[in-house]
Amino acid sequence: MAKPHRNLTRAYAQDLRLFGTPWAKAGLAMMILVVVMLPMVVHDDFWLSILVYVGITAVGAIGLNLLTGYCGQISLGHAFFIGAGAYCTAIVGGDLGLPLPLWLLAAAAVGALLGGVIGPFALRLRGNYLAIVTLGLIFVGEHLWRNLKDVTGGNSGTSVAAPPAVGPIDFSRLEIAGEVYSRNQGYFWLVWGLVALIALLAKNLVRTRPGRALQAVRDRDQAAEVIGVRAGHYKIGAFMVSSAIAAVAGALFGSYQQFVSPDEWNLLLSIQYIAIVIVGGLGTIFGSILGAVFVGALPALIDRYSADIPGVRTSVGGEGFISVFALNQAIFGVLIVLFLVLEPRGLAGIWLRVKTYFKAWPFSY
Amino acid sequence: MPHNRLALAAGFAALVLAVSACGGAGDSGGGSGGGDAGTPGTTAGFDGTTIKLGVLSPLSGPVAVIGLPLTAGNKVWFDHLNSTGGVAGKYKVELVQEDTQYKPDVTVQQYNKVKGNVVAFTQVLGTPSTLAVLPQLKTDKVLAAPASLDALWVREENLLPVGGPYQVQAINAIDYYLTEGGGSKDSKICTMSQDDVYGEAGLAGVAEAAKVHGFTVANQQKFKAGTENYAGQIQALAGAGCQMVFLTATPSDAGKIFGTAAQGRFAPKWYAQSPSYAGALSKSAVAPYMQANVLIVSEGTEWGDTNVPGMKDMVERATKFAPAQQPDYYFAFGYNQARAMTAVLEKAVAKGNLSRDGILAASKELGTVTFDGLTGDYKYGSVDDRNPPRTSTLFAIDPAKPFGLKTVKYNFTSDAAKNYEFKKAG
Amino acid sequence: MSPELTAFLTNCFAGLALGSTYALVALGFVVIYKSTGVINFAQGGLLALGAYLGYTFSENLALAFGLSILFACLAAAFVGAGFERIVLRRMVGQPPFAVIMITIGLLFIIEPVLTAVWGFDNLQVPNPWNIQTVEAGGLVFGVRDLWTIGITIAVVTAFFLFFRFSGFGLAMRATAFDPEAALAQGISAKKVYAVSWAIAAALAALAGITLAAGPGGLSPSIGFIALAAFPAMILGGMDSPAGAVLGGIVIGLAEALTRGYQDQLFSWAGDNVSIIVPYLLMIVILLIRPYGLLGTKDVRRI
Repeated sequence: MAKPHRNLTRAYAQDLRLFGTPWAKAGLAMMILVVVMLPMVVHDDFWLSILVYVGITAVGAIGLNLLTGYCGQISLGHAFFIGAGAYCTAIVGGDLGLPLPLWLLAAAAVGALLGGVIGPFALRLRGNYLAIVTLGLIFVGEHLWRNLKDVTGGNSGTSVAAPPAVGPIDFSRLEIAGEVYSRNQGYFWLVWGLVALIALLAKNLVRTRPGRALQAVRDRDQAAEVIGVRAGHYKIGAFMVSSAIAAVAGALFGSYQQFVSPDEWNLLLSIQYIAIVIVGGLGTIFGSILGAVFVGALPALIDRYSADIPGVRTSVGGEGFISVFALNQAIFGVLIVLFLVLEPRGLAGIWLRVKTYFKAWPFSY
Repeated sequence: MPHNRLALAAGFAALVLAVSACGGAGDSGGGSGGGDAGTPGTTAGFDGTTIKLGVLSPLSGPVAVIGLPLTAGNKVWFDHLNSTGGVAGKYKVELVQEDTQYKPDVTVQQYNKVKGNVVAFTQVLGTPSTLAVLPQLKTDKVLAAPASLDALWVREENLLPVGGPYQVQAINAIDYYLTEGGGSKDSKICTMSQDDVYGEAGLAGVAEAAKVHGFTVANQQKFKAGTENYAGQIQALAGAGCQMVFLTATPSDAGKIFGTAAQGRFAPKWYAQSPSYAGALSKSAVAPYMQANVLIVSEGTEWGDTNVPGMKDMVERATKFAPAQQPDYYFAFGYNQARAMTAVLEKAVAKGNLSRDGILAASKELGTVTFDGLTGDYKYGSVDDRNPPRTSTLFAIDPAKPFGLKTVKYNFTSDAAKNYEFKKAG
Repeated sequence: MSPELTAFLTNCFAGLALGSTYALVALGFVVIYKSTGVINFAQGGLLALGAYLGYTFSENLALAFGLSILFACLAAAFVGAGFERIVLRRMVGQPPFAVIMITIGLLFIIEPVLTAVWGFDNLQVPNPWNIQTVEAGGLVFGVRDLWTIGITIAVVTAFFLFFRFSGFGLAMRATAFDPEAALAQGISAKKVYAVSWAIAAALAALAGITLAAGPGGLSPSIGFIALAAFPAMILGGMDSPAGAVLGGIVIGLAEALTRGYQDQLFSWAGDNVSIIVPYLLMIVILLIRPYGLLGTKDVRRI
């Protein structure tokens, strides 16, 4: 049987496939392989902890991208939901001592609930107004975290003793075939496994009816209403899903770090998430992960090799005029600017360009 | 051509694996740790000649004002020590500095980055950052010296605090006010505190003093660090007729607070906790007001005081190893931390074990460490027997002095501070 | 005067002074938003930059304080316009989101530059105001607060006159209203965009220096105040300069009064509730009027 030309899509079903092309399948298999193998190859706790934080950030970024990239609702309040998830875990996983799946689900439920409370604001407010109101959420949240002392420990913060364990499987001390793996290795698998799971769920969500509805609402909500999409429902729904995922990220963050304080859920964290989804590419799940890797790993790389960069001061009283972090921040800023000027669709846009280039090869233009 | 693609994919996978294989060398540390008394075996952070110590400090960001001089203090002490041969006269000490930006998550990352290369941490700055690494310190059995005067640290065996905790400062300050400062327990004693852990530590001290001396705090105001408007709080304090206000703040807020008070012609006796002050305040427009109304409660002595041997040595060494260093008491704090850590290292070397366990064990066997008057003597030992210094020094503002501070009362201890009990963190 | 009344008036005055600073920053937000449709997150960075430049002019170059202010504003305006010219002009027609992110990028660039040049230490800007006070009618007024309020009034008046009566002001209004129609009339949109950024940056610098001239001095975190000016901008309506000024004053007063009566009226709401009052007020008002007090409603098409 004659094979169709590789670019040809002959049915909607084909267009909607999660992992249609052999390429996508191979890529997926490879990514799984890398995630499974990496902690066995990389033992360095620094890189593992960076990658764990990157994975946690990727989870949160997927949540934000559903809301902002797919549904078009700008939220600067993402840090609030992440914090809520972390505190919820401190109680459900730490104080009550419930196992991993339960505290993850509890965090998701709390996140969804809070999202359901905040969501209706999106019915009344649009665009930038919504963005700034959700910015208010950060400050109101911080006030709550400082004052709800029974739940959050107030200013002193609270330790999060949630066990990353379900039954005999303890991710803080994995034992596979007689080999014992460290806490960082275990968390790497746990977190990146969840990244894969949530990415899959999100991908599935956006390719089906609700996903199309979200995008219709994003593109023009009144037109969407006209064709029978209940824009209000989807806006609130998007808020709930997004904040549930954010809370899961917070739960992971809390249990990995084992201690959280009210200073951590600030505007900077929200901005970092916004940066990730924009740098990664709005409205792409894969882009959220790329963005998280970029935003999380770049500073770590600079930090690691800062001693070799001329003019950087790595120690007090040392040579150089700019500290590592300052350099980091400046590079980060410059990269964001450059990136968006050159490719406003973000990393995912670049990825897409590379892909099309090879798709049409050798007739690339 | 599916075959080609498959081959390509396989090749790429191999490449990725090859790249990731270059990842890292693992964290097992290696080495035996054990050794003979006086000549410890190699271990993580000790290669037989050089002992490496970690520093986790905000070297950038708003708190860098504290992190930079503190780390400089660490460094000057060890530079001096190395110039005399090093620990036990033969092992040089090297610092591995990492910037935490005062963020707990960054601190955890940086901790993971360097923990395999150091024997202990001679500085972890900030209460939230310390609490964030504490669980890992416990599992990894690592010793760290926290750079904050929190009472929580006293009973943690993985932490090596120096100096009298904030609570002690507050208790001593109020005691002084009641005995020599012109106050009585019927005076209106008030507080103005930053709404965070640091502020709460001061308030705990004031509450203890109130219990012991039997007065009630007339008015308590709080503020969020970095706000611009303090008129409301000052109004309230003035309205309550406060005669003494105990302040916990950081310098730039303290400047605004004193400025607002000066403008509002509100002039109680201010007793401010040590971090409220920085040298720049003595050169600012509020200096005259501060000279008239403010006392700073801290420890040690004024910068450059040649009567105190520790200060004389420190200034000489600072001039030698860090000539650009401005007078700063965070510098002295870092210097003291480094001395405490050196005492631990000497002990560990004497016992011939610089491994993590060896260092923890050494820290428990450490007796009283003296700081030559830079801060009160600290009795270490097992955590339950630890006894932090209960002494404080009161300073007045004097722009003519190097750091703008002049000693009012040197190294005094109140009974209430002596009897204050430090509890384990909950 | 009874002590209660004195306390009330003093709080109101503090609120006005704070509100004036908010108004200046919010006005900067609005100028950029109105003409280019972008929320400028770098406003806080420009504010800090202006303040540090002011410090350099008055401390290192020993210029008179008034001149320092003027030069700092000019320099900041130059930076603002330059950024627009070099970076943002390439972004015309791109999604507003990407442009907002670019302003965040600018903020990230400004901060480390400031600390690399001026360090982290608290600096004192030589200035004639500081903690000087004048007494009138039983009340004590801070000289700096009076100047801040006075400068704001002067700037806002000049601003409205400029927009109302000058040719270029008219061009700016036209561009904001309908860029394409304005272009067709021969108005240079490029020039309008650059001037908006210059004006906004100068306003930020002005706010920065008046803040830094207070007793707290100047530290890199001075830019944080721009965050509190967000509610001011939103409250008034994002595209309304008059709204920005009104919003600034309302927010400043609300914050100062809640702070002043924290003990008597708001102790149930937790310590320091005044910090979040601007945001709460903003949320409540937006729920009633989704486009702020004076903002224009979007006309939406299907």
